[in-house]
Amino acid sequence: MCKFSVVAVIMIGSVAWVSGQAAQAPDLPAGDMQAKARTACLECHESRIILQQRLSKATWGKEVDKMVKWGAVVDAKDRDALIDYLSTNFPADKPAEPAPRVPGKKR
Amino acid sequence: MISRRDFLKDTALTLAAAGTIQPLLSWATDPSAPIVPGKQGMILRSFRFLDLEMPPEFMSNWITPVPHFFVRNHMFEPSALNAGEWRLNISGEVDKPLTLSLAELEKIESHSVTNTLECAGNGRAFQNPHVPGIQWQRGAVGNARFTGPRLRDLLERAGVKPTGKQVMFHGLDEVPGKVPPFIRSIPLEKAVDGDTLIAIHMNGAPLNKHHGFPARALVPGWIGAASCKWLSEIKVIEKEFEGNFMKPGYRMPDKPVEPGGSVNPDETHPITTLNVKSVIASPRDRTPLKQGAIEIHGAAWAGEADVTKLEVSTDSGATWNPARLGSEHAHYAWRLWNYSWKPAKSGEFVIMSRASDSKGRQQPATASWNPSGYLYNAVDQVKVHVQV
Repeated sequence: MCKFSVVAVIMIGSVAWVSGQAAQAPDLPAGDMQAKARTACLECHESRIILQQRLSKATWGKEVDKMVKWGAVVDAKDRDALIDYLSTNFPADKPAEPAPRVPGKKR
Repeated sequence: MISRRDFLKDTALTLAAAGTIQPLLSWATDPSAPIVPGKQGMILRSFRFLDLEMPPEFMSNWITPVPHFFVRNHMFEPSALNAGEWRLNISGEVDKPLTLSLAELEKIESHSVTNTLECAGNGRAFQNPHVPGIQWQRGAVGNARFTGPRLRDLLERAGVKPTGKQVMFHGLDEVPGKVPPFIRSIPLEKAVDGDTLIAIHMNGAPLNKHHGFPARALVPGWIGAASCKWLSEIKVIEKEFEGNFMKPGYRMPDKPVEPGGSVNPDETHPITTLNVKSVIASPRDRTPLKQGAIEIHGAAWAGEADVTKLEVSTDSGATWNPARLGSEHAHYAWRLWNYSWKPAKSGEFVIMSRASDSKGRQQPATASWNPSGYLYNAVDQVKVHVQV
């Protein structure tokens, strides 16, 4: 147990170091529209805002249309496929996305 | 084969269960979690744009330390805001438009208000069916002491014309793409209330950059969006501002909506005051507890009203028992509460908290659904396992 704890503390410590050096959000899921979603959505947002949504296809459609109005670049021919990609990967019935915590402790 | 991330997660959970190095647990939950200067242990909902939630177990201080105060940004924070060059303009339906520097604001008589600020979308994640937006659970809320000149005093200097009915705030949020700027308005009546401030201090220190440095509106008892950050312009206008963050944003349906239903934007109204609400800070959901005296505690708030009662149920809502309200209180501030529970047997229990207020409101068993998930306030509940 003692050895195990020491290893864990070292590894957790290294995670804290990594956190400060490279704060990378997770990538969007693979798929035909992954590249399109990256350019359309991640120009302004990071992936976490997308990963945490759990929406019906109709609601994803409204979100995509709102974002296009606000400047997201989505060709009309890609709109339906992008909505399919988002609603397939982040449907209403998928379990909630766990959220990380920024470093630091309770005061 | 176990991944490195799973190993770290499992290891941290094992150590936490053994009661060791709890503060390091958060560092281990996701190797990609970034450091946010000035913020500690917060749940990261989004890094760009920054949205941070206070973990419910942090709700044990009446005054929320700034490192634990939630952050809700719609856009980029101002990247190059120089306090010396910053100016606050007051214009519109006034006799004498004003331009004030931070040094001039600091010389005006200041007033302090301890206010519970809550994002209108706090609890959105619990709406069923799910709705789009930041998936806040319990902690897009905090209680802090805000200090600065009364907005009323600034408006008196400018001289509001009889045609002035609303007061508009414009923040310096940096707009991405074609997103409309963050501009909202409040009725003149609320603007001239003696507790509505142009806050320049929070908990006795100059505003942190995430909370609107150098100055923000503080509209006590109202949804957080009313208290515009990085304030640059106050404009007295003739009627309610109609930009995106007033319409369609931050509105509630005039009539109850069937969950999942759609709403005609013309049958909605702007959200103003917060609901009556409570949150259980401890114990946390799925916590194994030892049989004996168990302290249940949390916070309760009610916007412009006062919390009058907090009840706790330890039998899934069948019976309710009065909790003790904390001694620290202020008109717009939350009340901490606690209840000592001695379970007579082991097993699974659902603990609930339910607040009532001076307007006769009580937290409902189920919150009313709306398409943006605003003002969620169902009774809070956690499931615990009591062991002999």
